Amino acid sequence: MDLEALWLTLRLAGSTTAILLVIAVPLAWWIASGRGPGRAFVQAVVALPLVLPPTVLGFYLLVAMGPLTAPGRLLMRVFGHPLAFSFSGLLVGSVLYSLPFAVQPLVAGFGAVDREYVEAAEGLGASPWRTFRSVVLPMARASLLTSAVLAFTHTVGEFGVVLMLGGNIPGTTRTLSISLYDLVQDGNYAAANRTALVLLVISMAALLVIYLVPSLRKTDERQADVVR
Amino acid sequence: MFDSLLTIKMQHRVGTVSLDVSFALTQPWTVLFGPSGSGKTTVLRTIAGFVRPDAGHVIYGSIEHVLVSTAERIFVPAYLRPVRSAAQTARLFRHRSVRENVAYGMAWRSHPEDERQVLDEVLALMRLTTLADRGTKELSGGERQRVSVARAVAAAATYDGVDKALLLLDEPFAGLDGLLRDELAITLRDWLARWKIPVLSVSHDIGECYLLGAEVVRMAEGHVMEQGPVDTVLAQERSRLMKQLGVV
Repeated sequence: MDLEALWLTLRLAGSTTAILLVIAVPLAWWIASGRGPGRAFVQAVVALPLVLPPTVLGFYLLVAMGPLTAPGRLLMRVFGHPLAFSFSGLLVGSVLYSLPFAVQPLVAGFGAVDREYVEAAEGLGASPWRTFRSVVLPMARASLLTSAVLAFTHTVGEFGVVLMLGGNIPGTTRTLSISLYDLVQDGNYAAANRTALVLLVISMAALLVIYLVPSLRKTDERQADVVR
Repeated sequence: MFDSLLTIKMQHRVGTVSLDVSFALTQPWTVLFGPSGSGKTTVLRTIAGFVRPDAGHVIYGSIEHVLVSTAERIFVPAYLRPVRSAAQTARLFRHRSVRENVAYGMAWRSHPEDERQVLDEVLALMRLTTLADRGTKELSGGERQRVSVARAVAAAATYDGVDKALLLLDEPFAGLDGLLRDELAITLRDWLARWKIPVLSVSHDIGECYLLGAEVVRMAEGHVMEQGPVDTVLAQERSRLMKQLGVV
């Protein structure tokens, strides 16, 4: 099995999850507490990667990051190299691709927090930020775990975006799922089997965490139920 | 006692009930009295900042702080109002002890000694001293109710502002046993009077109104019917109740 690809995959998934949590928590809180057409639009955009073929997302990102567009040229100047076919480019793609998996459980979790708890805190003079930090977030912590695990696992398993955006550069953009594809192309079924097994075990372990942890901690709030 | 502590005038529609209310608070403790569905809680929630009235205004304190004015498009968010409130259902913060719940809204961070003293006083006042270190899950319904009220009282007592904060209590003694309720009502009233913290509470219990000796605003079907001392406003209700009990 390609250990370099395994390490790269874990690094990519870890960084993606970290970035996504920072983005998804405020975004989900805004969606959960907002209303109006602006909210519906943002929700639709966030959910888009769920239904879009990954190759479509990959294609547009490839174009956007390349020298053909203004943002692409700007990015090239900032990074000193084209984002496409690099780890940073892959990271951008993964963040977008896994965004709904990080946001949806949080929206459900925040939405499940009874409005009356928020009012109780505000009625005691707590600012919205303090209310969110000290009341909402602790009550929705199960969904925080779901969000992180789903974002991580989904990134581990991505294929189309990586292929379009990253190509197949060992140590830089060749993730496990790409490596698996290569091995099958070469007819090396034994190695392919080992790689596939690793991906299977990671996914199964992640889902077990999501489903087991809340049942072990009875005190926890309702589990965000958005595993699609 | 107060010149005019708070004036409210509001029109609001919720479902089939249409509210048209106008009154002023002048006494240390005022009770909104009336049957369920008369709009008492909506009035309280409007003053607290959780309901945006269709039309009207809410003005508070000696400096005439405008909290709501639909004409001037003013709506001060709940957490910035000189108001501290406890809702009808006790929504205690589950991951905190009784003491931490009661201390949640206290705002004397720079004077930890004074804050601690007020906290201990309020805990004793609401008969929570022995429960202080318990989690909220181990409490009975009546105990939860007392924590909820204590939380608002502690927050109001330590409020930092030009005026004292107005304390809003929605059925603060509902669900408490008769004897304990009577004791609590009187000690709480006296303590708040000493601190000069004005109160607006909601009740449909005649006994409670008499016990507090409060000013009563009697509401029915979204309107204020009468306002005045409890002996005047609730005299009829009282004699009806006495007849029912066979006392007269």
